[in-house]
Amino acid sequence: MLFNSLSFVVFLAIVLGLYYSRLFAWTNKKRMLLLASYVFYGLWNPPLVVLLWISTVVDWTAGKKLAVLENQRKRKLWLLLSLFVNLGFLAFFKYGDFLLENFTALLNAIGVEYTARPMDIILPMGISFYTFQTMSYTIDMYNRRIERARTFLDFALYVTFFPQLVAGPIVRAKELITQFYEEKRATTQQFLWGLFLLTIGLFQKVVLADTLLSGTADDVFGSRDVLHSLDAWTGTLAFSGQIFFDFAGYSTCAIGIALLLGIHLPDNFRYPYAAIGFSDLWRRWHISLSSWLRDYLYIPLGGNRHGITRMYVALTLTMLLGGLWHGAAWTFVVWGALHGIYLIVERLLRGAIKIKINAWNGIILALLTYTCVNITWVFFRAREFSTAKNMILSMFFLNEDGKKVLYTFDIIKVMLVILGLFLCHWVMRNTSMKAVAGKTNPWVFGVFWALLFFFIVISQGSGEQFIYFQF
Amino acid sequence: MNLRKSFILASALGLLAVIGWEFYWRAQDRLPNIDDNKDLWAIQRSKLKNPSDDQVVFIGSSRILFDIQNDLWRKHTGTDPVMLAVQGSSPLPVLRDIVENTDFKGTMIVGVTSGLFFSTTFPEAPPWKRAQSKVEYFNDRTYAQRLNHQLSIPLQKNLAFIRAGEENWDTDVDLKTLLSHQRKGERAGPLPSPFNLFEEVSLDRNVQMLERATNDTAYANTIKVAWQDILKGDRPPPDKASTMAFFLEYATKFQEKGGQIILVRCPSNGWFKEIEAKAFARSEFWDSLVLQSKLPSYHYDDYPQFRNLNLPEWSHLSKEDADFFTTELISIFKNDGVLTNPKTK
Repeated sequence: MLFNSLSFVVFLAIVLGLYYSRLFAWTNKKRMLLLASYVFYGLWNPPLVVLLWISTVVDWTAGKKLAVLENQRKRKLWLLLSLFVNLGFLAFFKYGDFLLENFTALLNAIGVEYTARPMDIILPMGISFYTFQTMSYTIDMYNRRIERARTFLDFALYVTFFPQLVAGPIVRAKELITQFYEEKRATTQQFLWGLFLLTIGLFQKVVLADTLLSGTADDVFGSRDVLHSLDAWTGTLAFSGQIFFDFAGYSTCAIGIALLLGIHLPDNFRYPYAAIGFSDLWRRWHISLSSWLRDYLYIPLGGNRHGITRMYVALTLTMLLGGLWHGAAWTFVVWGALHGIYLIVERLLRGAIKIKINAWNGIILALLTYTCVNITWVFFRAREFSTAKNMILSMFFLNEDGKKVLYTFDIIKVMLVILGLFLCHWVMRNTSMKAVAGKTNPWVFGVFWALLFFFIVISQGSGEQFIYFQF
Repeated sequence: MNLRKSFILASALGLLAVIGWEFYWRAQDRLPNIDDNKDLWAIQRSKLKNPSDDQVVFIGSSRILFDIQNDLWRKHTGTDPVMLAVQGSSPLPVLRDIVENTDFKGTMIVGVTSGLFFSTTFPEAPPWKRAQSKVEYFNDRTYAQRLNHQLSIPLQKNLAFIRAGEENWDTDVDLKTLLSHQRKGERAGPLPSPFNLFEEVSLDRNVQMLERATNDTAYANTIKVAWQDILKGDRPPPDKASTMAFFLEYATKFQEKGGQIILVRCPSNGWFKEIEAKAFARSEFWDSLVLQSKLPSYHYDDYPQFRNLNLPEWSHLSKEDADFFTTELISIFKNDGVLTNPKTK
C-alpha cells in the first residue's frame, strides 16, 4: 500500500479510529497495529508476508538465545543463523538474477559456453529495509548492547511497524521496541504535527517529485540520443531533486504517521544538499542507512582504528556495499565507488588544506559538493553504462551537437525547483522544520499548510511508487 | 506554535480552495468523467476467469471500442459483451493472452484497424506494448491497486477536476498536464497538437463519442489535426508477414479449443480513410487476412448502410451512428448465423 493512495487514507482512518477508541487495552492495540501492518504489506502481495514471519521468528529466537547463552561459540552460531537467513533472503530475492548473470558472463569470458535462464524472481517490497532492521537487533544482542525485546509481540511489531516497514527509516531496536512497552497516545500538538508532516511528505512526493521533476528526468534518461549539455544537466538535476523529494517525502510521511500514534521515529534526512563535503552529506542523507553501515560494517571492518590504509579499505568496501544495497546492478556499485573516492579525497584534502567555513565560502563549498553528488546520480539513475557515459560526456561539454530533448519551459521549471531546493537546504541546514514552524505566525503557517494540501489535490498523483521501494 | 489554530485555518482554506477548483472547471465545461484505464480493462478481463457460454469477447483497438455499444449488444443478443479492445494498440497480445491463459471458447470478435493490426510483433513497439501492458497489469495488480480503483470511482463520477487519464489527454486538468500547456517554442522540436478527450466511458467500458465532439465542429477539428500530427511523421512500415503468422497461429489454437472468431473492419472516412487506402490497401491486407484465415469477416464498405455514417473526427462513430452500427451488425450476424450462442438464435 502506498501512502499516496486512496486505500491508505481509508486504512489510516480505520487504524487511528481503532487505536484511539476505548475498545482495546494497550496489548490489544499493539496486536491491532501488528495485524494492520500485515494487511498493509499483504495488500501488495499476501504470500510474501511469510518472509516477514520467518525473519521475525528467526531473529526473535536468535535474540532470546543470545540473551541467555554464555558460551561464545554457541552465541556466534545463533548470530550466524540470523545473518544467514536475512542475508540469504537478500541474496536470493534481490541478487539472484544479478549473481546468475555475472556467473554466466564470467563463464563465457573464460570460454565456457553457458546460457542461464533468468529466474525472474519477484523482489519483495522493502526487503532491504526490514532485513537490515532485524539484523541490527541480533547484532546488538550479540554485542550485548541492548536488552532483548520483552515480548514476541513487541518484537514482531518492531519488525513490521507499517509506517516504516517498506522504506525506512531503518530503526534500531533501542529506539523503537522500548516505545512499545507502555501505552502511547499522541498529544493534540503531536497529532497535528504528525498530520503536518504527512502533508508535507505527500507534497514532496506527489507535487515536487512526481509532478514537477520526474517527467524531465525520465525524458532525459530515457532518451537514446546523445544529449545537449543543458539537457543532460537539467535531467540530472531533476533526478537529484526527484530522488530527494521521493525518499525524504516517504520518510517524512512515515515519521508523521508514527507520530499520529504517539510513536517517535528518528530523522532520516537533514537538508543533505546543503552538505559541505561528503562526510557531512552522509550525516544528512539517508541517515538511518549510513549510520547502519557505519556501525555494522565500517567499524567492524576496522574503521579508523588500524591506520590510514585500513581505513581507506574499510571506507571503500562500505561504500561499494552501500551502493550494491541500493540495487543489483554494477551502475549502483560505481555510484558507491564514486562516493568512496569522494570521501577518501575529502579526508586527504582535509589534512592538507585548512579552511575556516563561513557563510560565503560555505555556500560555494556546498554547491561544489552538490555538483559532485550530481555526477554520481547519473550512475544511480542510468540503467546502462552507455547511457551514463553519454550523459557524463554531455555534462562535461564533450558532446558537441548533442540533441535537445527538453522544451525551454521544462528547463526553467526544473532550474527554479532545484534553486529553491538548494537555497531551502542552505537556509535550513542548522535548524529544523519544527523550530522554523515554532517561530512562524500560526495564521501564516495555516495558509502554507492549506497550499500544500491544495497542490496535492490538484496534482492528482496516480499512485506512483516510491523509488526506494525497489531497494 | 499554535498548531490547532493553523490546522483549523488550513482545513477551511484547503476545503474552500478545492471547492473553488471544482466550480472553476465546471464553469469551463468539464464534467465528471470515468477514465478508461488499466483497472477498468482488468475488471473486464477478470470476467474470463470463469468464462460462460453466453460471453462474447471484443478485442481490437479504439474503433471497435467506440463503434460497438455494449448495452445494445446485451439487449439484442442476450449475451454478455466483454470489452477488451485497447485504444491505439494491436489486438494480438490480447488474443494470445485469451488463448493461452483462459478457458474461454466462445465467440471472439476482432476489430481490424489495419494500421495497428499489421503494425508489429516487436514487444517494445507502442502498439504492442500498450496492449501487453494491460495484460501484465491484470496479472500483476495488487489488492491495494484494486481497492484504490474502487475508491476512485465515486470521485471520478462526481468531481470534474478528477481528470488525470492514462491517455494523457490535453483536456485533463491535473497539475502536470496544466503545466505542460505552458510549453512554448521549438527547442525540442515542434510542439505536438493538443489531443483532446473525445470519449465518454462507463464502468463496463462502453465507450461513446463525447457529445461535444459530435456537435462542435471546431472541437472535432482539433482531434482531426491531432490525428494528422500523429500520423504524418515517419512511421515504421507494417510487418504483415509476422503479424499475419502470429494471428493465424493463435486463431487456429483458439478454434481448436472450440472457439469462434469473427473479423470486423469498422468504418473510417475523410483523410483517415484516404491514408489507410494508400498505406494499407484492402486487397493487400484485409482481403489477404480473410483469405488466409478463412474466418467470417465483415468489412463496413461491403454494406451500403455503413457507407455514410457520421464520424466526427474521421475514425470513430458518433453515439447515434454507433447505436445504428451495433444494431445493424447484430442483424447481419444473425442473418448469417455466425453467432453460435443459443440465446442469439
